Amino acid sequence: MKNKANQISLIYTLFALFLAIVSFKLAKQYSTYLDCSNFSFVKDIFFISITGILFRYVLSKNDKRNAEINKNLRQTNDKLKESNDKYDIVAKATSDTIWDWKIPEDHLTWNKGIKGIFGYRQDQVGKNSKWWFDNIHPEDSIKMSVKLYSFLEQKTEKWQDQYRFKCGDGTYKYVLDRGFILKDENGKAIRMIGAIQDITKQKEEENRLKLLETVFTEAKDSIIITQAFSDDNQIPKIVFANPAFSKMSGYEHFEIIGKSPNFFMGKNSDLQEIENLTDAIENKQECFLEIILYKKDQSEYWVRLSFIPVYNHEHDLSHWISIQRDITEEKKLEKEKEILIRELTQNNKDLKQFSYITSHNLRAPLSNLTGLLNLIDDFTIKDEDLKEILRGFKISTHLLNETINDLAKVITIKDNTSIQNEELQIRDIFKNILNQLHIQLEGIKPQFNIVYGNVVKINTNKAYFESIFINLFTNSLKYRSKNRDLVIDIIITEEENNTIKIFFRDNGIGIDLERNKNKIFGLYQRFHDYPDSKGLGLFLVKSQIETMGGTISIQSEIEKGTEFTLTFKSQ
Amino acid sequence: MLELIMCIDDDPITLMLFRRVAQRASFAKEIINAMNGQEAITLINTINNNSNQGKKPQLIFLDLNMPVMGGWEFLDLLNASNYFNLNNTNVIILTSTIDPEDIKKSKLYPNVIEFLSKPITVEMLDYLNSKL
Repeated sequence: MKNKANQISLIYTLFALFLAIVSFKLAKQYSTYLDCSNFSFVKDIFFISITGILFRYVLSKNDKRNAEINKNLRQTNDKLKESNDKYDIVAKATSDTIWDWKIPEDHLTWNKGIKGIFGYRQDQVGKNSKWWFDNIHPEDSIKMSVKLYSFLEQKTEKWQDQYRFKCGDGTYKYVLDRGFILKDENGKAIRMIGAIQDITKQKEEENRLKLLETVFTEAKDSIIITQAFSDDNQIPKIVFANPAFSKMSGYEHFEIIGKSPNFFMGKNSDLQEIENLTDAIENKQECFLEIILYKKDQSEYWVRLSFIPVYNHEHDLSHWISIQRDITEEKKLEKEKEILIRELTQNNKDLKQFSYITSHNLRAPLSNLTGLLNLIDDFTIKDEDLKEILRGFKISTHLLNETINDLAKVITIKDNTSIQNEELQIRDIFKNILNQLHIQLEGIKPQFNIVYGNVVKINTNKAYFESIFINLFTNSLKYRSKNRDLVIDIIITEEENNTIKIFFRDNGIGIDLERNKNKIFGLYQRFHDYPDSKGLGLFLVKSQIETMGGTISIQSEIEKGTEFTLTFKSQ
Repeated sequence: MLELIMCIDDDPITLMLFRRVAQRASFAKEIINAMNGQEAITLINTINNNSNQGKKPQLIFLDLNMPVMGGWEFLDLLNASNYFNLNNTNVIILTSTIDPEDIKKSKLYPNVIEFLSKPITVEMLDYLNSKL
């Protein structure tokens, strides 16, 4: 522009000088012919006119160009402004953190995301790339920088990476960083601009899903997912199956997908169960069943399976989930157990019958003996020898009779599954028991301390209750100590759950529990060498109390005494 | 004292014992014995045919386990037919069984008035006497 102005000025000056010189020469040569003043005037007019035209031309040309330049300038300005506005809007709208790295100067600037998302104050943010790299998680740092520098070397257009970036509070956020590069005319990277996106939530969700997925892949139970519906009256088709299902069924994963669970059923699969399942699916109800399925090699296996409907956010049925467990082994054991139980029940029945017959066959002649001996009482026998023989005969017969009667009682108790209970006054029962024992008590006169507490009534079987305590009293009398008077303490208390507890304690000779712990309530266990001990009493007591749903336990010390703790269900 | 009673048992000792005890208790003037249910039925048939004599047993003591015909079968026969006009005769089961099923079963027969355990004693007969 300047040059052009000089050029025009120079040309104009030269031309004006040239004209001045030419007119001066002409005036000198032709001054004789020419009126000097006229000539000068004509020359001036001519000069002014030429100059005027020239000026106009130059000025109008200039004007035109200026106008064009102005227009272009304005347009550029508008574009720039618009672009700036757009950048501002995007920067404001995006949740990304944007960085701008001038590589030769190593100058890095961050937009306000560094504050909003990562919680750094303005003065905490570094101005170079070191600060950026320093805040990348040590585990990710090497991998990230290798990737970044290889990108800078290769000078490709785009770059992206995931890493953990440290926040102002020291925690880390998972980020996705995407950048592009600006190069100079030599292809050298001079500037890089990037956008960091916080993907912590996605990453956490991803990890959570990965964790959940392990349930599916690692479970020992088979899991399948089927479609919501089917159009061929079969169970909906399988869309997903875990490795355990492949293992259980023997089919490869690709062979399973798209099959209906019906595919795995066969001739021994219970039709009723299949119908139940089909009905449940039709009614969109969950279903549990046990059924025989077939492996790829057509061998049978038992499964226990559930079929559960799954609904989406719109509450529409979206899938079914089925969890299946191989229970073949369990079923086998169950069957064996059933057979065993059946055999045992039969054996038991036979044995019971046998014991009744035995008992009957023993009792029949024995009752004759007893009856005949009763008749002998009415005869007067003078012969002393015969008298003694008959007495021995009688004592033995009575003992045999008692034993057989006790055994018969045991059999009957074991057989009586339902016993009749009645509500009884507890004081009355003990009074009655002591009355029954009054002959034995006569000579010994033990001291009784019975504490009834606030227990008044007990709901129990009278015969069993009496039998139990008569046995315990008889034992206390039989096994009393010769060194001290017999004292019997009975304490009755009411426990929770309608239970009545009775402590029965004597100061007799006791039992060596160390030696006899497991045998104490056994059949035919005798712990003292007494002639009339049959080894049945405590066995009978235990049988009777357990038949009523109660318990009995024993504490004893030699030469100190014995304490029984009995519980009764008072319902 | 009863006029006539019948005792059905396969064991002769039991029958002998019963006779002696009944004598001692002055329970009955006459006792007829049968060794099993079949024999008892035959006896009752005979009595029934000679009904004009008017000698019917007033009470029957019955054992359960017997050969040929047991106690239950006898009871069923006795009760089933109107042919025997003895079917309302009271029966006392006298046995050495302890099977609770038997006791339960005996309650289904309305003419079985007692279920007694052997051996028979004077006291038992006295008790029956007072009850009848």
